[in-house]
Amino acid sequence: MRLPFATGFTAEAARFQWRLLAVLALVVLMTAAAVLWLARRNIAQEEEHRRETEFQVGLALLRSAQANRHAMLVERCRTLATKSRIQAALEDGGVDLLYLSARDELRDLLDNPAEPVVKGRRMARFYRFLDASGRLIEPEPGVAAGVLAPGEAGKLSLSALPDEPKIGYLLLSLAGQGEALHEVVVVPIISNTDGRKLAALVLGFVPLRLESAPGAAVFANGIWLDGRLHLQTTGTVNSGSLSRQLRPWLETEALNGGRLRISAPDGTWLVFAQRIETGAPFAPAYEVCAFPLGEMLERQRVLGWRVIVAGAVVMLLGLALSYFLSFRLSAPVEQLAHDSHEQRERRAEAEAALETTSAELGRAARFSANASHQLKTPVAVLRAGLEMLQARGTLDEIEAHEVEVLIHQTYRISSVIEDLLLLSRLDAGQLRLNFTAVSLSELVAAVLDDLSALPADHEITVEQDYPPDLRIAGEKRYTALILQNLLENARKYNRPAGRIRVAARTNGKEVFLTVGNTALRPIPPDAREHIFERFHRGGLGENIPGYGLGLNLARELARIHHGDLRLDRSDAEWTEFIVVFRVAESETPTS
Amino acid sequence: MKNSPVSVLLLTCCLLLSGGFANAATIEGRVALPPASAATVVNKRYEIVSTGGVVATNPPLAVVYLEGEFSTPAEIPAVRVEQKDLLFVPQLLAVRVGARVEFPNLDDTFHNIFSYSPAKRFDLGRYRADEKPVPAVIFDAPGLVVLRCDIHEHMRGVILVLATPHFVVTDEAGNFRLTGLPPGNYKLKAWLNSRTTLERTVELKEQSVLRLDLP
Repeated sequence: MRLPFATGFTAEAARFQWRLLAVLALVVLMTAAAVLWLARRNIAQEEEHRRETEFQVGLALLRSAQANRHAMLVERCRTLATKSRIQAALEDGGVDLLYLSARDELRDLLDNPAEPVVKGRRMARFYRFLDASGRLIEPEPGVAAGVLAPGEAGKLSLSALPDEPKIGYLLLSLAGQGEALHEVVVVPIISNTDGRKLAALVLGFVPLRLESAPGAAVFANGIWLDGRLHLQTTGTVNSGSLSRQLRPWLETEALNGGRLRISAPDGTWLVFAQRIETGAPFAPAYEVCAFPLGEMLERQRVLGWRVIVAGAVVMLLGLALSYFLSFRLSAPVEQLAHDSHEQRERRAEAEAALETTSAELGRAARFSANASHQLKTPVAVLRAGLEMLQARGTLDEIEAHEVEVLIHQTYRISSVIEDLLLLSRLDAGQLRLNFTAVSLSELVAAVLDDLSALPADHEITVEQDYPPDLRIAGEKRYTALILQNLLENARKYNRPAGRIRVAARTNGKEVFLTVGNTALRPIPPDAREHIFERFHRGGLGENIPGYGLGLNLARELARIHHGDLRLDRSDAEWTEFIVVFRVAESETPTS
Repeated sequence: MKNSPVSVLLLTCCLLLSGGFANAATIEGRVALPPASAATVVNKRYEIVSTGGVVATNPPLAVVYLEGEFSTPAEIPAVRVEQKDLLFVPQLLAVRVGARVEFPNLDDTFHNIFSYSPAKRFDLGRYRADEKPVPAVIFDAPGLVVLRCDIHEHMRGVILVLATPHFVVTDEAGNFRLTGLPPGNYKLKAWLNSRTTLERTVELKEQSVLRLDLP
């Protein structure tokens, strides 16, 4: 990936800021719109629900009043049916005396124009009897049964008498008055001897109207009959315009009750309608109630403004916040872009350095290996020449001793060259181990055997303490070399008549081999860090042969065996090294 | 044959009335009465029932009478319909047009007898047993008069006003016997209830006994 230029970050960050700003503004706008919509809907629903409840409560009260009135009228008619004179009038051919006979019984049902209406007890404006076939029985002159305009009474006749009280609505005009809607209740008079419908009593009432509860909204209500709304409230609403708008609704979908919102010149109305259970002979009628929605619309309007203002404030705050946020959010992004650029540069540098180092290391190792090889031949030639000189036997004693020393020195040079060659192979990572299971006891025995061949200056005791069947994973040559180096050191840096102790223990996965000896003197603490470095002799090897490669080689070899070599103890009494090997897999055969 | 005291009285009455005719004829027979209503009347008092607007007695009785032209007597003896134990006794009475019927109250409570029947409308008002003279009504037009008491709604009685002196109330089996009848051609009628009256044309010969069942 191409690294962006420094100016690129700023442009990208600015774009990010603008995008963030736009998203935040959009969110604020949409939230405000949603709040406005929900609030308006909520107000409308709440209003409609409240009005519907009022309407239903009013209707329930009205129905209950009607039911009470029906019960009262049924009881009245039952009493009438038991009266001898009523029976006589109906059964004995005395129909012309019927109204006279019933006058006293029904007097209190009639509205008395002279008396004010008792509150809550709406009286009938007229009553009439129908005979058994449903025809009207005209009242006798002089009997007060409510005076209907001429020709109006015929509207009361029915084709058949109902079995139970029925309610209906009729447009009737009373004498001297205009046409008005009347609630008509028909109650059959049942014979108490043979259950026959003897006659029926018909009463005309001013329709019961919905009463608004105290504190409830003022509404207009009326009865819908024959395609016209007959309002029972005056002055609040234009009946004609309401009727026109209600007609299609009432005549189609609202037959089972429902609600409608209509806009009339005098405002918006919420209209409820419910069918009134009229009896079969009467035309269907609906109780209609219209609530003005002006107040609700005003509330919605005020709320709309509030939400818009609040939305604007929130928008401004949001803009400020989004600017701040985008700044805060984009800063780390910018930083991140910058950082990653720097990081890439640094890594590239490091990689380049590593490559150089690796190349140099490889070159050094190759050089070391080549140098060692090139040295081996001249040393061999030198030794061969010296040995030939020695074998000639022409040298005197002093010369012979010198040649002896020179030959010994060539061995030392060879040994150093071998070690250097091994180390350079280790450094170049060219040493490949052939892991086998090496028996520790055999290994120690072989190394000790080699060491015993060396000239022993002092009588040194070797103690051994390890399980006899312990096997370690490694290549025998190199593990022997490690142990050989350690034991050689233990012998060289020992006291006269001192001790060497070789011990091993295992935890099942690793083998801890310790090689300790009685100390000539302790390794100084500041030298302990350096004893594993090449050509370092810890400041104590002035008169002890060695060239400071042994411990370093031993540690490198231990490490390529996936183990380690550490100085475990060094004080005036005792020096002890510890080598860690891995335990050999049990099934691996002994090499 | 088992006659009620009322019918015995009426028969006697008829026999007395027709006693002047030496060549009088007799009709006897039986009217097929409708079955009695399910509710049997234990104390034998007849009850006036109105079923579907039809007034009849229960158990059913019929009034058999001879229709024709008969001379009007100067005076017709008065008959009584008592009010006893909140009932009219008898509950079915046949009288000749112009007859005067007295309505004594034999109960120790008020009664108020009235009738809305077109044949005779009257209202005797409330009175008690000690009312003197005994309230009476003269039935001057033929027809059916249903008696009621304004105070006791169940009380009902029937007076059948007839334009003939020859009539008799059958027994519960429908048997009747009309005696002292002048010879001639007549219509024999049997009133069963306010809707049903059976009739048959008869020719009566001197001192004959006509055996006739209706219908």
